Amino acid sequence: MEKIFLRFVKFISPVLQKTGVDTTQLYEIIKVKLMMDERRPKAMFAARKNMQNNTKVQSPWLITFFTVLMGLFIGLVLFLNQMPFVGQTLYFLIFMTLMSITLISDFTTVLIDTRDQFIILPRPVNDRTVAVSRILHISFYVLRLALLQGIAGLVIVGFTDGIAAVPLLFIQILLATFMSIFFVNIIYLLLMRSVSPQRFKDIISYFQIGFSVIIFGTYYLLPRLINISVLENISLITHWWSWLLPPVWIAGLNELIIHGARAGFITIPLAVLGVLTPIVGLWLVAKVLAPGFNRRLAIIATSDGNSTSAPKITKVEKTSFFDKIANIVAPDPVENAGFKITMKLAARSRDFKLKVYPAFAYVPMYFLYFVLKGNGSLTDKLDKLQHGHSYIFLPYLCTFILTNILMNVSMSDKYKSAWVYYALPVDQPGKILSGMYKAIIVGFFLPYCLIISIPVILVWGPQTINDIILAVLIGIIYGILMALFTVKGLPFSKPVIAKQGGGRFISTMMIMIFIAAVGFGHYLISRWELVIWILIVPFLILNLVMFHYYKKQTWENIEMADM
Amino acid sequence: MSETPLIEIRNLRKFYGEKEVLKGINLDIYPGQVIGYIGPNGAGKSTTVKILTGLIPDFGGEVIVNGINMAQNPLEIKKLIGYVPENAEIYDVLTPMEYLDFIGKLYSMEETALHDRAAKLLTAFGLGTNKNDRMDTFSKGMKQKVLLIAGIINNPKIIILDEPLSGLDANAVIMIKELIMRLSQEGKTIFYCSHMMDVVEKVSDRILLINKGEIIADGTFESLKQNHSDTLEQIFSKLTGREDQSNETDAIINAFE
Repeated sequence: MEKIFLRFVKFISPVLQKTGVDTTQLYEIIKVKLMMDERRPKAMFAARKNMQNNTKVQSPWLITFFTVLMGLFIGLVLFLNQMPFVGQTLYFLIFMTLMSITLISDFTTVLIDTRDQFIILPRPVNDRTVAVSRILHISFYVLRLALLQGIAGLVIVGFTDGIAAVPLLFIQILLATFMSIFFVNIIYLLLMRSVSPQRFKDIISYFQIGFSVIIFGTYYLLPRLINISVLENISLITHWWSWLLPPVWIAGLNELIIHGARAGFITIPLAVLGVLTPIVGLWLVAKVLAPGFNRRLAIIATSDGNSTSAPKITKVEKTSFFDKIANIVAPDPVENAGFKITMKLAARSRDFKLKVYPAFAYVPMYFLYFVLKGNGSLTDKLDKLQHGHSYIFLPYLCTFILTNILMNVSMSDKYKSAWVYYALPVDQPGKILSGMYKAIIVGFFLPYCLIISIPVILVWGPQTINDIILAVLIGIIYGILMALFTVKGLPFSKPVIAKQGGGRFISTMMIMIFIAAVGFGHYLISRWELVIWILIVPFLILNLVMFHYYKKQTWENIEMADM
Repeated sequence: MSETPLIEIRNLRKFYGEKEVLKGINLDIYPGQVIGYIGPNGAGKSTTVKILTGLIPDFGGEVIVNGINMAQNPLEIKKLIGYVPENAEIYDVLTPMEYLDFIGKLYSMEETALHDRAAKLLTAFGLGTNKNDRMDTFSKGMKQKVLLIAGIINNPKIIILDEPLSGLDANAVIMIKELIMRLSQEGKTIFYCSHMMDVVEKVSDRILLINKGEIIADGTFESLKQNHSDTLEQIFSKLTGREDQSNETDAIINAFE
């Protein structure tokens, strides 16, 4: 595919040459960029390349396969073609969202490749060549993605709407892609105008977090809340707000050409919008947005580090607050160090946030998913929910967060900085680990449980307080067990690799089954309030004992990454 | 020395927001000179280099290289310059040969000559056996060597080296020092930025000391020595206002008490 594209670049060279582009340089830049893309693991698919081991480079075929598969899932909504617009609108809504997010997440590394400033800019390459190479590179990437993602849809639409709809869908996909590019460009520009490069990357990662939450939420909750047969018969176009949605415009094309008989008058202007907006958008991107974009990037790259930012005073106070907590819960100096380093790295490392923060939103979703399961109307289910004891599962579900954090806390892209642990005379690494664990509890688990318990207490009343305390204590014990059996590295000390299976999986399952049993026992006895209050005491003691032993871990229990 | 300067810098100014980083720099650099450009961190060294290599297009004043004005025709100037950046940025998923092929072609070099030269240079720098390995496995010194080669692959008239010895072992350092002298004998003009005073002292014909955006000393090592002290290190600390070094070390020692 790369070769075809390079041939295409050669083919259009004469035209580009007239506009002042050095075509030999252009060809070389694009060739190198494509080569690097191929060798770079994609961010969208979480399995990262093992830093130590270059033979295990992710196969580009696997990524292609997953993209096509994803396209197949989206394509399934095209079967909803009883009512006008519905299936196609949904299809393009998901298609464009996926496309935009992939562009935002995968392309930050390419667009903000500051190395270009030092490698290409000092060479005699004119601005236009650089700009055109960037545009062509992006187009190739995007079109490839669009085709892979759309191929299943092209087949499906042939079955549902007849063979004539296939070339039409192809055009629609192109239009949807252009529109996504336009949106992404605007988002980028708005962000670049208003924030620093560092902050910019942070915001992009929040986009990614938001995206995974949305995907998760729609997957689990939407079918519970909305009946699919209702969706099938919805008459979308009678709601005026639907006229404002770009996917509707693009779906309008299909409606107008394939189902012309049932198309209303409003379909015509919508379809026209569907053709015009992407084209105008693309023109705006090329003529107005892109030049400013490149200039902006150049400024960011060259002035980096020279910008004098005002010191943030509020931040200092906040850390001193956490420092105080650190001194109370982790008085031992080594433990204190482990506590603070975990706290600060976890709060500031983008990679960690990206993996852990979505879990915060998953917990209430899981809860709703489980309690809304089964038949009956939504109001019935909610009513039943309020009078039952199922709220007990909510604090237990919070252990999901613990699992998630523990799975990621020992990994980092910059794992080599962890040499300090090994170079300094630390006799009991267990102290660092217990500091780390306390930081996870104090910094993430407890605040989260606190927030979760507010609605629980509001809905089910104050008699739930003892249940929450007990569940949290049990959750902490679960966490220690997990940490003991699965976290073998010091905080942020190991390279990010694909999760390893094997023996650890068994122990994880055992711990989970155990905790599920305890939780179920809790559910059974939850009607006796006093028993719960009394049970809190032994579990508190058990906690302290376990912390004591957790601290005793020696260097033999710790896996080190190769430095 | 020829009488017409190769690089003329007139009243060069640069602001980052409110902060004036370069406060009117004037310089004439003649062909074949090895310029040692030194100064404390944040003095404006990197900014000067970035302007000279065309990385920062907006600046006040005039930069003329080989009779070409930087503001009007940066591309022609870039063709004359080879640049080894300080921050060691490199596309490390490529192999050295692929990387040099890319860089050479950006200079519009012809492929067979380019490959021949790249292979010869890689072998000369001791990377002959690694020329087709990806650079993400390379050590810092090996990457630095590739960057150095990329800086001279087009046989430039002017070579700008920003901290070129970082990560190199002692033998490589000796080799580079010798190389700088040989290149200058070949008529190349070399602009050498570094914090390593002993190296600057040895390789430079002329030393420029910049502090707070101004050139505060300009001359051969010998001439600087007569006015001030006997090593470049001492000259440096005197001129940049850090004579009270012993007080600082006192304070450090006292901190343990």
